[in-house]
Amino acid sequence: MGNENRIINILLKVHIALCLLFIFAPIAGSFVFSLNSDRFPSLPLGEFSTEWYRLIWEDPLVWSGFANTLIVGLTVAVIATALGFGGAYTDFRYNFFGKSFYLALALLPPTIPVVIMGLAMLAFLSRVNLSGTTISVIIAHGVMCSPFAMAIIRLRLSQMDPDLEAASWNMGGNQWQTLRHVIIPFTKPAIFAALFITMAVSFDEFAVAWFVSGLNETLPVKILGFLQGQVSPRINAIGSLAFISSMTLIILAQLLLRNPEEPKS
Amino acid sequence: MNRRPTLFSLIMAMPLLVWQLAFFLFPLLFLVAISFWTVRNFQMQPDLSFANWERILSRGVFWDAYLRTIVLSTAAAVITSLIAFPASYAISFKMGEKAKRWMIFILIIPFFTSYLVRVYSLQVFLSDAGIVNAALSYIGLGPFSMLNNAFGILVGMVTLTLPLVILLQTFSMNFINRDLIEAAHNLRCGRLRTVFAVIIPSAKVGLVVAALFAFILSFGDFVSPLYLGGGNPPTLSIMITDITKSGQQWPRAAVVAIMMIVTLMTVAFSAISYAYREKGK
Amino acid sequence: MSNSVIRPNRRKLLKMTGAAALATPFLSIRASAQTTDLSMLAWYGHAEPDIVGEFEEANNVKFTPKYYTGGDNMLGLIAQSPAGTFDVVLSDGEYVQQLNAAGYIEELDPADYAFDDFFPEFQKFPGHWQDDKLFSVITRFGFLGVAYNTDAFTEEEASSYDLFADERLTGKLGHFDWHLPNLGQMSLHAGNSSPYDIDEAAWEAVKEHTMGLRRQAGGFFDYGGTFSSLNNGQMLAFAGIGDWITGTLEKSGAPVRSVIPKEGGLQWTESFSIGKGSRNQEMAKKWIQWITSPEGQAKSADMAAYPAMVPSQAGWDVLNATNPDEARRQNMVPGERNAMDMIREGLIQYRQLPIQQSLEDWNDFWSDYKGA
Repeated sequence: MGNENRIINILLKVHIALCLLFIFAPIAGSFVFSLNSDRFPSLPLGEFSTEWYRLIWEDPLVWSGFANTLIVGLTVAVIATALGFGGAYTDFRYNFFGKSFYLALALLPPTIPVVIMGLAMLAFLSRVNLSGTTISVIIAHGVMCSPFAMAIIRLRLSQMDPDLEAASWNMGGNQWQTLRHVIIPFTKPAIFAALFITMAVSFDEFAVAWFVSGLNETLPVKILGFLQGQVSPRINAIGSLAFISSMTLIILAQLLLRNPEEPKS
Repeated sequence: MNRRPTLFSLIMAMPLLVWQLAFFLFPLLFLVAISFWTVRNFQMQPDLSFANWERILSRGVFWDAYLRTIVLSTAAAVITSLIAFPASYAISFKMGEKAKRWMIFILIIPFFTSYLVRVYSLQVFLSDAGIVNAALSYIGLGPFSMLNNAFGILVGMVTLTLPLVILLQTFSMNFINRDLIEAAHNLRCGRLRTVFAVIIPSAKVGLVVAALFAFILSFGDFVSPLYLGGGNPPTLSIMITDITKSGQQWPRAAVVAIMMIVTLMTVAFSAISYAYREKGK
Repeated sequence: MSNSVIRPNRRKLLKMTGAAALATPFLSIRASAQTTDLSMLAWYGHAEPDIVGEFEEANNVKFTPKYYTGGDNMLGLIAQSPAGTFDVVLSDGEYVQQLNAAGYIEELDPADYAFDDFFPEFQKFPGHWQDDKLFSVITRFGFLGVAYNTDAFTEEEASSYDLFADERLTGKLGHFDWHLPNLGQMSLHAGNSSPYDIDEAAWEAVKEHTMGLRRQAGGFFDYGGTFSSLNNGQMLAFAGIGDWITGTLEKSGAPVRSVIPKEGGLQWTESFSIGKGSRNQEMAKKWIQWITSPEGQAKSADMAAYPAMVPSQAGWDVLNATNPDEARRQNMVPGERNAMDMIREGLIQYRQLPIQQSLEDWNDFWSDYKGA
């Protein structure tokens, strides 16, 4: 058993390395191009230059886009995860008339092509005077990201022993206490995953945001604009900055959230 | 359990329902409604006409794109799941707690880098004079055409979905009861057999959900087909943008959108009921 | 207009970046509180400092741009947005008719604008006027022809649309992903002197002629994709574009150029209108007046996002004085054979909506071509 184990283990680790290489190569490439003087990146590379960073640093609209994106992302993460949690738990525990309609309404949004979704959302929001603001993007992203949260938390709930809840009730806990002391701790990893993933989905969403954000654009909308207009490594510079800041956030989260007494899960 | 809705159950169920009813129902109905509208003088006019449906569903080009998109997304979902599985397996079973946590966080990072930027950067890798071909030429392998064709599209779709699929697979494999695995080994199951007999069935829900995510994301994506596939040939998502260029033909675009939605919902519901079926959860 | 949470207000930005001493230029605080905010709906780059900076300073105005990536998205956006969201709207000539038909732009008074400075061909440009009423002022134009890689082909070879069928271009001919310019060029190649005004028989011929090119096509690209493909040599020739793309690439050192082939070229136009219900119509008018003034026109010709030719004769004079190299590069030198001569000789046809067929017919064929 010994030798076999080792070779397979090595192959598996190599495979992981290749996967990471595949995933991060474009990111690394983007970083390199952002420091390159050529306006249209190609081989061979030009000279080292921080011109593109300077350009976006000095563009107030990039900064406001970044701020908008951050605000929207954080808000949507919380809202979508909360909504998704309720929906997942409802699906897990309850059966009721109209449940299919409920689930359909909850899960439809990701299936709708974003360009059409954008127009439809704008059509609605402008009629209720809620278009063209950061709130509009939060609303639209809330609709689009809750299904992700719901699916992730539902996945986790499916791993829970249903008797666990019953046991808690039998021991005299009411539903709220059960929620607090049994369900939530169990689904905590899924809740965190949902928070991150919904924030990430919102961070990167540009199609619907273009329509509903009007003049208060988010960063991905700006990036789309650059890609479609002033094609230049400014795109790469923004991408690299987003990458660095998200890496920082995540490392911070990693350090802060780590519980030294966490049991083996 | 409870026959009458308790306050608790309402508080769990209602927020999502209210949000979607308030902010999503109207856009959804609007979308369905405009598929029956007509365009006059470059403006959409309310109408009750099946003309758009007839026009779209009778065009060969639409069904070609439909089939093509299904094949591409299925391929992407399958390829991504296959590539992800060994990686998730290794992360889940072969790594210590700390390494595992770091791996997961590393995999979350690509989410926060713009997909658009990554695809734009991929062009430089995949072009005929690009990085990959340059590297291959050192080994004497001829330049491969990796851009503006289905290969480019698939690379893009895998880039989009691989991190998510690895995470979801790892997630579900993490929570497989390790005792089951030990039991299998005790019963003299080899590693491969354990994988197929114990791990995959136990993680079925997560594996299916991950593949479903990959399918849905790839089906609706227009960034990879446009920038890495060169719109050559076009997918449904590109078709939607194209149709609007017929002079504000949002109604016809809505027809294509509805076909896409129905397809995805059908796939999603089948996949989910397959995944959750046996466990009765 | 909007109760946004974040607006690009400079004092707020200072707060956000905290105590870090940033000696960057944009942090200068505006003194006056009377800054007019003008919103502009346009192609990318029309509200960048290089072109609006001077006007902003002089008139205490701040432009907030909404850049679109296609005329149809622009129309969809303006259709669903509340009236008055956009003060000035830049659009291609074809879209002015559509904007006007749907009532999204204000009527303008011709006396307000410097039409006397314009070449006679542009003083009453079709599509911008409706029943003798003015709705949009033309500000820039450009030509579409054969775009090619100068390392792969000579100018001689590129001087005809025949180049597109050259065997060296199999899989390496790029198409700008819009039916109108591509089919117009094919129509010219098929010998139609009015490429957009053709009867059924001629239209069938154009369709057949275009289909013959399918195996040449390497891809269908949007703006960004066009730049990349031409620059990295993935595509060696392009249909449906002109100097506004190759000129920008040339300036970055790429070996590309556009020429007007012997069968003739097409002309695109851009114009500014005032959005219906705008609350800043006076200032919007001032902007249009500035961009059509001789100085504004000269600046516009060399706009950083993409270059263009300008309709103002007075503008040509200023350009030749301040930027003679660019004037020469774009054939805008009076007294020599220049772009206006090409138009007058009938070498250039306006790009416009098809006349005898519906827009949908042309677009549906284009989808068929792409899916073939």
